[in-house]
Amino acid sequence: MASENGFFTNAEVTTSGRPVLRRNEVECFLLSSVDLDSEDDPPRFTALRSGNLILTTHRLIWIPSQSTNASSLPSSLPLSAITQIFSHKKSIKSMFHSPRIRFQADPGSVVVTVVFRGKGDFDGFLTKFWECWRGRAWEGEDKSESETSMSGGGAVAQGLYGNDGTVRMVGLAGILRKEQEQWESTDKSLQDAFQDLNALMSKAKEMVSLAEKMRQKLLSAPSSQNGSGDDEEMGSKEEMQQWMLSVGIISPVTKESAGALYHQELSRQLADFVKIPLEQAGGMISLTDMYYHFNRARGTELISPDDLWQACTLWEKFDVPVMLRKFDSGVKVIQNKSHSDEEVMSRIRMLVTKTETLRTGVTASDAALTLKIAPAMAKEHLLSAETKGLLCRDMSPDGLRFYFNLFPEFDLTNLHLVKDFGEYAEWIKATSLVSV
Amino acid sequence: MRRRPGIGGLQKAAAARDQYRLLGENVAKLRTDMMKEQLATFKSQLEEFARKHKNDIRKNPAFRAQFHEMCAKVGVDPLASNKGFWAELLGIGDFYYELGVQIIEVCMLTRSLNGGLISLQELCNHLRQRRKKDREAVTEDDCLRAISKLKVLGSGFEVITIGKKKLVRSVPTELNKDHNQILELAQGQGFVTVEEVQRRLLWTSGRVIDALETLLEEGLAMIDNGNKDGKCQYWFPCVSSVYSFVGSDT
Repeated sequence: MASENGFFTNAEVTTSGRPVLRRNEVECFLLSSVDLDSEDDPPRFTALRSGNLILTTHRLIWIPSQSTNASSLPSSLPLSAITQIFSHKKSIKSMFHSPRIRFQADPGSVVVTVVFRGKGDFDGFLTKFWECWRGRAWEGEDKSESETSMSGGGAVAQGLYGNDGTVRMVGLAGILRKEQEQWESTDKSLQDAFQDLNALMSKAKEMVSLAEKMRQKLLSAPSSQNGSGDDEEMGSKEEMQQWMLSVGIISPVTKESAGALYHQELSRQLADFVKIPLEQAGGMISLTDMYYHFNRARGTELISPDDLWQACTLWEKFDVPVMLRKFDSGVKVIQNKSHSDEEVMSRIRMLVTKTETLRTGVTASDAALTLKIAPAMAKEHLLSAETKGLLCRDMSPDGLRFYFNLFPEFDLTNLHLVKDFGEYAEWIKATSLVSV
Repeated sequence: MRRRPGIGGLQKAAAARDQYRLLGENVAKLRTDMMKEQLATFKSQLEEFARKHKNDIRKNPAFRAQFHEMCAKVGVDPLASNKGFWAELLGIGDFYYELGVQIIEVCMLTRSLNGGLISLQELCNHLRQRRKKDREAVTEDDCLRAISKLKVLGSGFEVITIGKKKLVRSVPTELNKDHNQILELAQGQGFVTVEEVQRRLLWTSGRVIDALETLLEEGLAMIDNGNKDGKCQYWFPCVSSVYSFVGSDT
């Protein structure tokens, strides 16, 4: 559908003068008062003067503005026909001229000059022009369109009208056929997937044996090697750790090695992050809670529980104010180095020697409230206090309660002797208040 | 090499040793280079696999399970670290670590009711409710894998099998054989009485009471003393099939 001037194709416009865009075509830029001139002499096409230039993902469309005479028709040029866009040279002369772009297009390697006589964002247009031309949006479509025509009726039609303009009946037949095709493609791809999986796994097996050798090398490397070989050794050890980690083999942190670089970095990052939750939790937080908070804060690129644990074990190598601690029950916690056991013990002692608690004892939840720590932590502290001999436990239908341990104060030869110092006297006072 | 006497001989021997050492270092370096190459090949193979099948692993639980089994056979742990090739290229790391976070959440929320022991089925139901908006289905197998990873955190995450059911433990409480047997018994009606345990397991009353008391203490059992026949019932929320907890959607 060549127009009268033989170069541009006619562009469809709506009654209100807007261009009709094809499927997937998106309008990118609009400029007014644009001329399209032919550079060559004699001119290859009649110039289009003073119209609106619309850049889309697929075409350049020129629409005459209302005021021009009707001899010029709306024209378009597909971006795929453009062979070259000449770079815009800024010179003194060009500052006085209207900005212009030159490009070369087929058929016939015609050079076109676009002159911008209006006020508009010329630079923005140029950038978008390059983008759309480079983006080659029409290519992906050609491929999918040809696929559609080859596979026949299985493709999804956009809207009610098919590619040839007839109304497409979707209906049950179409849906069923679509389901069938999906099933078949899944099945086949799964078969492929399993085959690929097998191949991958055999390769992985090789890597595992290789990693074993690496591990042997790591363990058996002599730690005392003076000279410049030392730094290299450390570097390569770290590398090896990193490789093993990449393949998926966990290697524990040894005395000599500091683990993979990733874990070292994570370790530092964690030490910083942990400060605030630790404050809020009263100086001690379980590893599980830490995993929860850290990953929630991260959002994406979450760390694995093993990562967290490895990073925490590295803390003892670095000078950070936090440490990992394991209780007898197996619970692992993070605590401040300054948060010593002594301090907690003294706080518990103060708690259990109050008159109230001499009488009724403390449960884990009471301790949690008073000491302002998590109940699970409180229980751990009470248990360790009991091991130290500070507390006695009382198991009753009411639950588990802890009392101050008075037994050390008893004189075994005279059980009823109440010394002037110590808690025994206090205890008697506290418990006798009840009977009053 | 012919041994030469005297200082000349000693010097020569020293020089020879040096040469051997250098050679050894070179060989070691060669080996390291070879290892690097092997690793690069493996990585590109994995990349190729990921390009083709990343979606399959995400969308198809059966394929995912198969993948895990094969990894276990080979001896690699694809979930070991976020920085591993597996997690990076296949993107399954985030899926499981996020699942781990959600499991911790659910266990924390239900702990006051079931004492830290929740049936796997119930856990999966809770998770599915939370993940309604995610298109990726979560199977029990996925939960089990996520939980096995959580074990290292030390809070006692473990899966125990009682009778036909699988229970997920999230507290460090150790359950001995007696406790397990009582739990198994409780699966029938959701509760047990002292007499029932005595009758069925042929224990002494002392043993029964001891075990039940411990379970009460740890919060795994709830006591119901208001029955008409006067018998005390011990209910276990974690194994009860009549008990359904409607979780709150945040």
